[in-house]
Amino acid sequence: MSTSDIAARGIEFFGFIDGAYKNVPWAGERKSNYIDLTNKYYDPIEGQRALSNQLDVLEDLEEYGFDGAVFSEQHNGPIGLGANPMLAGAWLAARTNRMKIVVNGPIINAYQSPVRLAEEIAILDTMTKGRLVFGLPMGHGMQHHSIGINPATARARMAEAHDLLYAALYNDGPFEWKGDFFNIPYVNIWPRPTHKIETILPGGGSLETLQRAAKYRYCYQNALSPRASMVKTMERFRELCREEGYEPTPTQSAALFTVHVAETDAQARREVEELELWNYQNFFRSPGHDNFPPGYVSAASVRAMRGGGYRSTPVHELKYDELLENHWLIAGSPETVTRMLTESIEELGIGRALLGFTTGIKPKWLTDKSISLFAEEVMPKFRADKGKPLVTQEDMTGYRTASEYAALRRPGAHPPTAEVNGVLKDVSRSYLPDAEQ
Amino acid sequence: MAAPTDAFATRTWETWTEPTIVDVNGIPTAYRRQGSGPTVVYLHGERGTRAWLPIYAKLAENFDVIVPEHPGYGDTPLGEGFSTWQDWILHYEAFFRTLELGEFHLVGDAFGSWLAANLAIYYPDRFASLTLITPMGLRLKDVTSVDVFRLEDDEVNEIFFNGRRDKVKHLLEQENELEDYLQAYQEFGSYALLAWNPRYDIKLDSRLTHVLAPTVVVGVDEDRAVSNEMAKRFADLIPAAELKVVHGPAGQPSGHHVTFEQPNEVAAVIADHVSKNS
Repeated sequence: MSTSDIAARGIEFFGFIDGAYKNVPWAGERKSNYIDLTNKYYDPIEGQRALSNQLDVLEDLEEYGFDGAVFSEQHNGPIGLGANPMLAGAWLAARTNRMKIVVNGPIINAYQSPVRLAEEIAILDTMTKGRLVFGLPMGHGMQHHSIGINPATARARMAEAHDLLYAALYNDGPFEWKGDFFNIPYVNIWPRPTHKIETILPGGGSLETLQRAAKYRYCYQNALSPRASMVKTMERFRELCREEGYEPTPTQSAALFTVHVAETDAQARREVEELELWNYQNFFRSPGHDNFPPGYVSAASVRAMRGGGYRSTPVHELKYDELLENHWLIAGSPETVTRMLTESIEELGIGRALLGFTTGIKPKWLTDKSISLFAEEVMPKFRADKGKPLVTQEDMTGYRTASEYAALRRPGAHPPTAEVNGVLKDVSRSYLPDAEQ
Repeated sequence: MAAPTDAFATRTWETWTEPTIVDVNGIPTAYRRQGSGPTVVYLHGERGTRAWLPIYAKLAENFDVIVPEHPGYGDTPLGEGFSTWQDWILHYEAFFRTLELGEFHLVGDAFGSWLAANLAIYYPDRFASLTLITPMGLRLKDVTSVDVFRLEDDEVNEIFFNGRRDKVKHLLEQENELEDYLQAYQEFGSYALLAWNPRYDIKLDSRLTHVLAPTVVVGVDEDRAVSNEMAKRFADLIPAAELKVVHGPAGQPSGHHVTFEQPNEVAAVIADHVSKNS
């Protein structure tokens, strides 16, 4: 498969930008930087810098020509400062016009009620005119230690929360929800979403997640699994979609890669080898009891992990060449990055690539340089229509002008009414003399 | 119900004995029973399933000792939908009924004492006596909690065994490292259902005053898991309860898992209490 074949089929590129606070001790000297590293290390000025850099790069992705901007939810540590990614989504909604805003995502179990999340999603969908895409990650093991979610019931709670969220977003209200975890007499959200919002389920290959993504026609996003198992997982996902009776769209298959582009392979290595080691030794490092708190995964999964199957090398021991070999890191000259991306897109059969340009460890100028090279020397090869992102071919929802508002609004809307002198009256024109109302 | 003997073919470790399996409201419940005399039901702690431990053997010299495995522990599966203390408490009430137990004495070991205390609260007339060994479950606002869900292996040794786990490892090691880890992970998942959040029961303070059974609380020199204050507070709250501290040898302060390290001394305290109330 060549880049033009991929361009003809279509590939969406989402830039994934995290905002780690990097001025912290090496995680190897302690259990983990995810849960209980004291926030005395937090300097508000440095924190502002980390957050600003993240938001600025996310905003710039639109001008670079990406289809979307992705960011995640993190808690209790320097790994990321986006404790509520919906806030960053609102910020981006106001500062961009066309690209998709991919909140990946709200951890639904961190919400007391999924109805609250449904409300936030509907607001952001309205604000973005349909550009919102949201992910529903389970939340990694460390999150359960950080915010008190019981890992032993988290999967069951999340399954019900998803079903309630879906019903709240798309069913007419009010309706009563009688679940194991939630009992809400009146589910009835205002505002409502403008359309069926694209949803991503990130996963590591668990059958339950694959089945849910297939059933609801969601996008399934794979990451941080061995290359061969990612290939099998994505194929399995598409089989499950077919079992549901439909052929999945290319954009339903997604994968996440870390990407860095420089002038040459050697220059890319010089620029990011040690920064990537920082990522894997700090950003991704956590001991087993933090990653997999009790009940968080099945005994069969633990057996596979401890028995030498899934991800048998601890991530913090991975080296640059291993990262390149399994395509967790796609780095090098524009030619090398193009070749590696082509290989991965082809073998995984994906129509959507999430490209992690920084966790926050890179200086901003280096992130900008890498993204700029990607945008000008890699991305156009995968674009069929004069370098334009796929997203420009999609309709947005809502209106942009007063004229569109007037043309599009629902006819026969109920007039705002008040009782005046014993008579029900349309108050929308009450500022006019009676004869002209 | 017949015991699934084939499934036990690989169980050759030192402490293994085959349990009896009895149906309790649909839950095949594993238990071990030995000895004769007054009946003592012993609720195990965080560790020590799939085993007949020295403290059980010592007690069985004088008593009819019954050691069930909690739902979600050992060879007793988690009941369908089990998620709250009430599920475990009702299970035990049904277990006692299934075994047609008349008058009997209840002993709880560490986590098992949290269960035992609840049983004694909800069924105050049911037990001839109650013994709680290094109990847990109260909210102690002035004590810094140990996060038992985030302990490295060496910390487990320091906190639960006061650094002396090697001396009792023959009681803890079973099939192999992987299988033992998997068993512990599953049991820890059952524990998490009850004690991940909150990690205490704010109602225990007031409810312990409902306990009518004559009670002994067994404390230790240095309970690094839940603090010495925990046993004292249980003894203060349960009407007429007596606190008895089982001391370790000189220079080796007794710890949370005293039943593994000093089974004879703990068994002597239980035996004394049971005999007085039989």
